[in-house]
Amino acid sequence: MMNAETWKHIRHVLGENPVTLAAVALFGLFVLMAVFGPALVPYDPLASNSAMALQPPSAAHWFGTDALGRDIFSRTVVATRLDLGIAVSAVAASFLIGMPLGLAAGFFGGWWDRIVTRLSDTLMAFPLFVLAMGIVAALGNTVGNIVLATAIINLPFYVRVARAEANVRRSAGWIEAARLSGNGDARILAVHLFPNALPPAMVQVSLNMGWAILNAAGLSFIGLGVRPPTPEWGILVAEGAQFIVSGEWWVSFFPGAVLMLAVFSFNLLGDALRDIFDPRRRT
Amino acid sequence: MSQPPLLDVREFGLEFRTRGGIVRALEGIHLQVQKGEIVGLVGESGSGKSVLSYAMLGISDRAARVTGGSAMFGGMDLLAASEAELADLRGREISIIFQSPRTALNPIRRVGEQLQDVLRRHAAAPGADLGRSLKERAVQALRDVAISDPERRLAAYPFEMSGGMCQRVMIALALACRPSLLIADEPTTGLDVTTQAAVMDLITGLARERHMATLFITHDLALAADYCDRIVVMHAGHAVESAPTKALFATPRHPYTARLMSSTPGERSSIASLEPVPGNLPDLKRDDLPACRFAERCERVTDRCRRERPLLDGAAPHGVACWHPLTEAAPRRERAHA
Amino acid sequence: MPEALLQVEALHKRFPVGGRRGALLHAVDDVSLHIGAGESVGLVGESGCGKSTLVRLLARLLDPSDGRILYAGSDLAEIGAERFARHPQRAAIQMVFQDPTDSLNPRFSAREAIAEPLRLLQGLSAEAAAARVDTVAQQVGLPLALLPRYPHQLSGGQKARVGIARALAVQPQLLILDEPTAALDVSVQAVVLQLLAELRRTLGLSYLFVSHDLNVVRLLTDRVAVMYLGKIVEVGPSEAVFRAPRHPYTQALVSAIPGQGPRIKLTGEVSSPIDPPAHVCRFHGRCPQGEDRCAREAPLLRRVGAREVACHFAD
Repeated sequence: MMNAETWKHIRHVLGENPVTLAAVALFGLFVLMAVFGPALVPYDPLASNSAMALQPPSAAHWFGTDALGRDIFSRTVVATRLDLGIAVSAVAASFLIGMPLGLAAGFFGGWWDRIVTRLSDTLMAFPLFVLAMGIVAALGNTVGNIVLATAIINLPFYVRVARAEANVRRSAGWIEAARLSGNGDARILAVHLFPNALPPAMVQVSLNMGWAILNAAGLSFIGLGVRPPTPEWGILVAEGAQFIVSGEWWVSFFPGAVLMLAVFSFNLLGDALRDIFDPRRRT
Repeated sequence: MSQPPLLDVREFGLEFRTRGGIVRALEGIHLQVQKGEIVGLVGESGSGKSVLSYAMLGISDRAARVTGGSAMFGGMDLLAASEAELADLRGREISIIFQSPRTALNPIRRVGEQLQDVLRRHAAAPGADLGRSLKERAVQALRDVAISDPERRLAAYPFEMSGGMCQRVMIALALACRPSLLIADEPTTGLDVTTQAAVMDLITGLARERHMATLFITHDLALAADYCDRIVVMHAGHAVESAPTKALFATPRHPYTARLMSSTPGERSSIASLEPVPGNLPDLKRDDLPACRFAERCERVTDRCRRERPLLDGAAPHGVACWHPLTEAAPRRERAHA
Repeated sequence: MPEALLQVEALHKRFPVGGRRGALLHAVDDVSLHIGAGESVGLVGESGCGKSTLVRLLARLLDPSDGRILYAGSDLAEIGAERFARHPQRAAIQMVFQDPTDSLNPRFSAREAIAEPLRLLQGLSAEAAAARVDTVAQQVGLPLALLPRYPHQLSGGQKARVGIARALAVQPQLLILDEPTAALDVSVQAVVLQLLAELRRTLGLSYLFVSHDLNVVRLLTDRVAVMYLGKIVEVGPSEAVFRAPRHPYTQALVSAIPGQGPRIKLTGEVSSPIDPPAHVCRFHGRCPQGEDRCAREAPLLRRVGAREVACHFAD
């Protein structure tokens, strides 16, 4: 799939719109932070140093220090790996389960459709964050359960997108032609319908990644999910929340700003991904 | 013709500014429609026929720019008119009907309301009994297009009606205010042969009855031949031939017209006798388009054709835009009514 | 009489309709037809007559409610549509669709689209398939340089050729053409029609040619069947049927072709295809020749000379 033609197309998409390029660059930066960050940070994220508690940003500590004297910059960078990891796993799980369910529901209709739609509607009837809270509270405070909860609450989006695409296209001429060419139902879903449902799904993926990070951060902020002292953006913001009023703004600000930038870059990425995956944009 | 034409288009040019380049959609168009005349505008997709009609009504795409020429309607300059003046014109003096009736009707409003909208917009003056008279006129409009039980149909929604009936409603909407010019943009494309005949009979019947000028846009030369007084053939943004129907079919003078005729299956054709038009439509974004845009597809081409654009003589009864027009009568093809 | 390649017997297709309980729409009603080897049969009729449904039944994209589709001795109707996709005889009957844009997967290049049936139905390796794709592309006049392109990079005529190439790749014996030139410009249409005629000659195929354009059908077919509301009302040699139609509906249809002179106008409402009464002629109510007998006794398709006509008055 990745041949010269595809690379040329990707370069064209990136070059066309500076915003796209910026989004991809930002995203690349975060990936690098996640992979190499922990090896390159100046301080041990868990090492506390009471003497240096609550220092404002300086040359030695770019983001300042927190109540226990830990370097906020190091903690923020190291947290990237965890947050990104949660987001990617959760969205991947949602995608891999939701897409096939939705495609089958849209293509076959009938009972299949009714069951899957009801399930999806039920999930969407809950306020999503509350549902995530419920799942984590019931199953226990672990990273795994955050991933599970986030995956579950995002399922309906993929089911809907896939179902809509399959429904519209199931009477298309090329689906009939696919049958004439020897495709059974499974192959039609996998080889013909799935790639056509990818472009809108890609936009969902990037939006979901942003929400997944916010979700994980939110759960950790309220004490469910990742537990301190593990660095995670939500926890970092929580730890600094009490100090905003007393003037030590940097404890929450920097982790919060990085969190915001990450979600922002994922959202921008959505359009870029869709353009890359849509063959109609190839010239 | 002693009286001036109702629609008088001269040397009209239009281009589209797109990201891929400038599309020279129309160039040097001459088109005249007399009051009460039915003119067929025939061309394949990409010939610019729809673009021309939208430009007349001022509903062109935003990327469109007029590059030259004039377009006069009953003495009024269409190109210089303001949007307000054009809005007054649309529906009252010039109406247009489109190919797909379902997309032309608002699906969430009743048919009667849509009719009354048009009537109210162009009503002479608001009066005490405007409501009642609007309803009566709406019923009459539906009756004019042979819709049975019009009072009941006023309350119907478009989805409750068949495709054929939606088409009639669309025609009723267009003709409600008795315009003097009707533009019909491929109204029967995609319809069955018998429905097509019924719709064309309806439109031309009303046109004759009301002495309404009609510009009938189509790609089907045979269909135009059956209903139009005069036919204008378009190719790649140029008007290449203009003649009364009988004359056009007896002696087509432009090579493209002749090829169009010979590539359409008719009563006496055989597979071997079909002579398709060679080549493809030229890409209208090119800078190096030949002056006569048919040059690259024409077997009679000379150097002059590439350098100098042949002009269509608008005043002549049978005008042709060609340096080497055909002169022999068209072979064999007799038409049942000719 | 050429041996029948495909024999259709008493084929029915009924769709359940919402609303009244048990109401059925009779899309195809007791249709019998045969297509000989190397024969080109036309199928004409207006929208709603059931020809699209009939064609999809014969192409085994839909399952019939009743009846038999006999091909090479076996009844294809017994094999479900989904299973038939992998049946050894799938390659024998192929189809060319009406809208070339709609019939090509936007994510498959032309080469991939044409190669797919070769790989799935004939198990060809990638190299063998590529060679065959080149061969059939040349047969349909599609320049090899266009093969890597995607549908949105091709013109209407080029897409039509891709569709034809894909159908021909697996060397079918029967090619069903569902209005193959309806979406094309007149000059492109002429080229495609000539191509289809040439291919039939050189490859010895049978065609089932569906169209609403009677002039086109006349050119390309040996025999023609006229459908109305799910039933076949007239079958006969193409030239004869067009020159002297015997069924009142066929007469109206032929007279409506532009340039044919005076038109027979049909008045009245089209009968409903939902639960139609079995003893009433479907055309009754619109037929210029209708009589009481037509409402009491539905005419059967019977032989009149070289034709079959379903009308009491065709003699």
